[in-house]
Amino acid sequence: MPSAPATAAKARPARKLSWRQFRAILRKDIVMELRTFEMLTSMGLYTLLTLAIYAIALSASGNGFDVRLIAAGLLWLAFIFTSMLGLNRSLVHEKDQGCLEALLLSPVDRPVIFFAKAVGNLIFLLIVQVFTVPLFFLMFLSSHAIGGQFWMIPLSLLVGAVGVAGVGTLLATISVNTRGRDFILAVLFVPLMYPLLLAAVGATSAGVLGGQSYVADFWRDMALAGGYDVIMLLAAYGLYEFVIGA
Amino acid sequence: MDKRRLTYIALAAAGVLTLTGFLLAFFVATPAQTIATLSTGGGRLFGGVFVSHPIDFGQKIFYFHVPVAITSFAVFFFTAYFGARFLITRDPAYDVKARIAAEVTLIFVLLTMLTGDLWTRWAWGVWWVWEPRLTTYFILTLLVVAYFVLRASVDDDERRAVYAAVFGIIAFIDAPISFAITRLVPSELHPVVIGVPGGLDGTQLAAFLIAMFGMLAFGFVIYQLRWREERVKERIEALKSALED
Repeated sequence: MPSAPATAAKARPARKLSWRQFRAILRKDIVMELRTFEMLTSMGLYTLLTLAIYAIALSASGNGFDVRLIAAGLLWLAFIFTSMLGLNRSLVHEKDQGCLEALLLSPVDRPVIFFAKAVGNLIFLLIVQVFTVPLFFLMFLSSHAIGGQFWMIPLSLLVGAVGVAGVGTLLATISVNTRGRDFILAVLFVPLMYPLLLAAVGATSAGVLGGQSYVADFWRDMALAGGYDVIMLLAAYGLYEFVIGA
Repeated sequence: MDKRRLTYIALAAAGVLTLTGFLLAFFVATPAQTIATLSTGGGRLFGGVFVSHPIDFGQKIFYFHVPVAITSFAVFFFTAYFGARFLITRDPAYDVKARIAAEVTLIFVLLTMLTGDLWTRWAWGVWWVWEPRLTTYFILTLLVVAYFVLRASVDDDERRAVYAAVFGIIAFIDAPISFAITRLVPSELHPVVIGVPGGLDGTQLAAFLIAMFGMLAFGFVIYQLRWREERVKERIEALKSALED
């Protein structure tokens, strides 16, 4: 360790270094995914299956039923189940191939690992969303006009996905080291996500349904979801060090 | 032993206070009148007598339901607090303390669900509504149950303690957010009495506060007794292994 007194000059390369580490971990995740397409295919297929189940669930509702009333909930339901699958996968890889241990041995700051994993998960979740939303509209809402404005739907999905990826990365890191991994992830994930889901479904619903004061409702729900994101991401960021070191 | 005396004093206080709260709630506190009849102007028949503003006996559960709910939340704080202490000190005693606090939380959360449900059946005529505040308590129950499911699924002691501490903390952060978000989502069903002008008069407030301190003392006593039991258990295990050696 060189004991150079120029601390200000040292702080900068350190930040640059963690940025490089962040990019390296993120790249590793993306390259691994591009080689196997394991997460994306499993998540995409799972979404298709969920949509098929929706078709079955709605098959007896008749033509008079307005799917828009529950469309936001259905969209989030598909998304939440798919993200649990993906989050679990993203850490099972790390664990089973010993990659997590190698990451811990390497001189990388723990928060960097957290943000890199979380951003990687966020990217995969967003790819699945980009694929799911048009498909969902094509299959279930092609005969209905949207009551609100369309940009509200992707925006609310994005804000929700940030929280899902952040908290989900922490919980998946916990659950991957337990017996019954995916079950434990679901048990921890769903109740913790409840406030975010409530707000996000409200925001998406405002976009799909429109109606009275839907713009104000949308921004209120977005503020709530955003607040949850900020608080829970800070908590997850602070606690990740303990989890990954255990 | 000072702690032991404190526990007994708290136990006596809990008994006296909850009993006093119980008696006050029924005999002293101003009875609430049925809101439905006040607003509609109608009345009800009680034993063949027409009563214009019948007393709302269902409201009496308020003096137990709310203190129990507050206690559950207060004890839940200690799960997170001892979890944080564990993460800082790595002293296994804090892990045991956090677990016991979670056990007490589970008791009080289940009691809240039970008393709340009785009231729901009486006042709204249904056993369950997906009303936001009920939903959050349901979620809180799930969080506490998840805490124990997580503990049961990790074999390594140190790792279990860390995971439980982390989950306890993040669940405790999550719970107020749930409450806040459900308060902001408009709801007409669940009465909001505290912090509303003209909500409680003096006698009602007295009965409520006495019942609340009684319940808090009960939470403390259960926690202390369980903690002592754990310590005795530990000592027995140590003696057993000493005898074997």
